[in-house]
Amino acid sequence: MTERARQRAVITGIGLLTPLGADAAGFFDAVCAGRSGLRRPADSHPVAGILDAAGFAPDVDPATVLPPAEARRVDRFVVLAMAAADAALADAGVTVGQDADPARTAVVLANAFGGLGMFEAEALARESSGHTAVSPYLLAGMLPNMATARIAIKHGVRGYSSTISTACASGAYAVAEALRLVRDGLADVVVCGGAEAPLLPTAATTFRNSRALAGGWADPAEASRPFDRRRNGFVLGEGAGALVVERAEHAAARGRPAYAQVAGWGVATDAYHPTAPRADGSGAATAMRLALADAGLAPADVGYVNAHGTGTKRGDAAEALAIRSVFGAHTPAVSSVKGVTGHLLAAAGAVEAAATALALRHGVLPPTHNLDDPDPDCDLDHVRKAPREAAAGVALSNSFAFGGHNVSLALAHPGGPLWT
Amino acid sequence: MSADVVAFTIESLRQMNFDVDGADGGTVFGPAGVDLDSLAVAELALRVEDAYGVKFGEEDMERLAIMTLGEFAADVASRSTSLDGAVK
Repeated sequence: MTERARQRAVITGIGLLTPLGADAAGFFDAVCAGRSGLRRPADSHPVAGILDAAGFAPDVDPATVLPPAEARRVDRFVVLAMAAADAALADAGVTVGQDADPARTAVVLANAFGGLGMFEAEALARESSGHTAVSPYLLAGMLPNMATARIAIKHGVRGYSSTISTACASGAYAVAEALRLVRDGLADVVVCGGAEAPLLPTAATTFRNSRALAGGWADPAEASRPFDRRRNGFVLGEGAGALVVERAEHAAARGRPAYAQVAGWGVATDAYHPTAPRADGSGAATAMRLALADAGLAPADVGYVNAHGTGTKRGDAAEALAIRSVFGAHTPAVSSVKGVTGHLLAAAGAVEAAATALALRHGVLPPTHNLDDPDPDCDLDHVRKAPREAAAGVALSNSFAFGGHNVSLALAHPGGPLWT
Repeated sequence: MSADVVAFTIESLRQMNFDVDGADGGTVFGPAGVDLDSLAVAELALRVEDAYGVKFGEEDMERLAIMTLGEFAADVASRSTSLDGAVK
């Protein structure tokens, strides 16, 4: 049996649809400037009266990403995912079949909710109008794998494809899977990321009723405040993030620059509670240690941690504890973009991996918005109030989830030595 | 009745975002015409069942998919007559 060389992976394309808009450069500018994407829902929106604040992704006309007859009946998460994937491939300069072998191109698009919005609408139609009101298109529009499948159909991707569903960690798991595929020589190009469209009456209500959401903020832009003493929950958002993760030599042969290297990944499971994290952050800490070990790096190499930091009391405190346990007293710079984006659930990990890659690329660390008064329980080297110029060579991007799934991605500056 | 079914079918397909400009009784459902896939045939069948009180079985679907609009309308009309409006 021949031992294959371990291939290196780089990010060559980014496509984002977030509450901060529909382009990656504008996204990073807004994160650095602390321009919040969070709004009070319009009176006409189905979550009006349920959510005080939410992060709305840009409207995408389904007919711009799908043929007209197909566009009619797919869930919004599919549309957001397809728009993000289109943008990421365009950004990477990849036309599958021209710039990449279809059989060596893969798609791993994550989501947690699937097409809950479409399902809810069809269930209500069945209740009021009978069984003939239920569309035959429902499954083709709502199954969790349909974002992956429709991206593959549209772009002619014939290699590996799958869908990951680990709640709020899903998007980062997808990036980790992309790294494994490239590293093992199974793909040259992987479209990976996550998409979520949870701004729906029933979904929003269960988050509210479970007391997970920030409340009592007159200004929705103030509601999401990771690591702040007055934080009281997260702000629900929708969106999609797609990355093109590419074999480094493949990108180099095309003459494409990289945003960052994807150098390592680590996953650990809490095995503790369906929704609460272990208070000692041990699962999160293990994920970070494993990511560094996988990349062949030491804690001292890390200049920045893009935290999961949702703004919940227990989650942020556990993550801070985890970061301190990995890095000791001198923690790297830490920030969470959720202060301006809200929590995009399955899209979050991919969007934040993109933010981390952009931070490395530009040598600028984005601040945590609304971190006015850091909680002593979250004692870290916070980037707050303003972006910080720092040539961090290596960064971690953390994502943790309901279910106790913890993942950390190790990214490295594209100009640095190519860690394997 | 057939003309009515043709008009109903064209309007249904329009609502389903199919290009039906210039479609008439001679237009085929298949790739040379409106190009319906299996899910679209299923939805069209549901709409017609609902409107005309007819019933299509699973075994009818492939046959429907290769009809012209006119053949389809005649088929619906014959089913409707034979059922005499009993089903709805």
